[in-house]
Amino acid sequence: MRVTKSRTRPFSVTPQLEPGAPSDLELMKAIQAEDPDALSQLYDRYNGILKALILRVIHNEAEADDLLQEIFMEIWNQAKNFSSQKGKPLGWMVTLARRRAIDGLRKKQAYARAEERLQNETEQQPDAWVHNSTEEEIVLSDTRSLIRQVISGLPPAQQEAIDLAFFRGMSQREIAAKTNTPLGTVKTRLELGLKKIYDGLKELKGEL
Amino acid sequence: MNFKEFQNQSRLYVIGALETEELEEFEKARKKFGKKAEDYIGECYGLHEAFALSLRPAKSSDGIKDRLMAMVRARKEV
Repeated sequence: MRVTKSRTRPFSVTPQLEPGAPSDLELMKAIQAEDPDALSQLYDRYNGILKALILRVIHNEAEADDLLQEIFMEIWNQAKNFSSQKGKPLGWMVTLARRRAIDGLRKKQAYARAEERLQNETEQQPDAWVHNSTEEEIVLSDTRSLIRQVISGLPPAQQEAIDLAFFRGMSQREIAAKTNTPLGTVKTRLELGLKKIYDGLKELKGEL
Repeated sequence: MNFKEFQNQSRLYVIGALETEELEEFEKARKKFGKKAEDYIGECYGLHEAFALSLRPAKSSDGIKDRLMAMVRARKEV
């Protein structure tokens, strides 16, 4: 693996685009100017990633589809609040989608149902972070494959803590209760795991 | 809190994993470090992008895009 050190620049892991395709930023600017075709292109580019993220939170196909539609509508309505100074369009969309998905999960008080589904799906789902050892069997894009290399390099307990915090919106105390682990240990797992991922992504930047 | 500790906390902050009592300390440090702090937090949001890209894209229902674009065009005409 080629490793480049770039400590001062913000990292981005946005996938490469076809030559001549408008950048995400160009599409966001067009959406800010109320161009529906730009939203259509952004949808084609990222609906799969956002749907996967939502599905990972709420574990229900139909609800995930509904939420996906609402999120793209919100992207259209809130585009004026996007500022390239604060980050990349994909990061902004993911943050928005994650917040909506976690809110949706809480509002519907679906924790119990989701928990049951999560347990079932963790056994079946090839995409789960924890205990995933079948990566070679799955055709992954270069970007995804590289990111997953970083994540799968973490000890399972760290992966689990980050997974519960990021995809389930759990606090440290909730994670401690769910995993029957001391609060201090949860904090350490999160800190170490996130630092390793952050540093790993910085190093991967040169490859993406 | 020194800047290294602030960096640690920032990574927890962006994924919403800081507890209430930690958030107060974090916000104080955020003010103290100013632009350097904001730049670092902005950088940490790259983690969101990475976590999403680590997932295999899921297929959406066929009708969603049509409904979405119809809603957008209707809203634009109003």
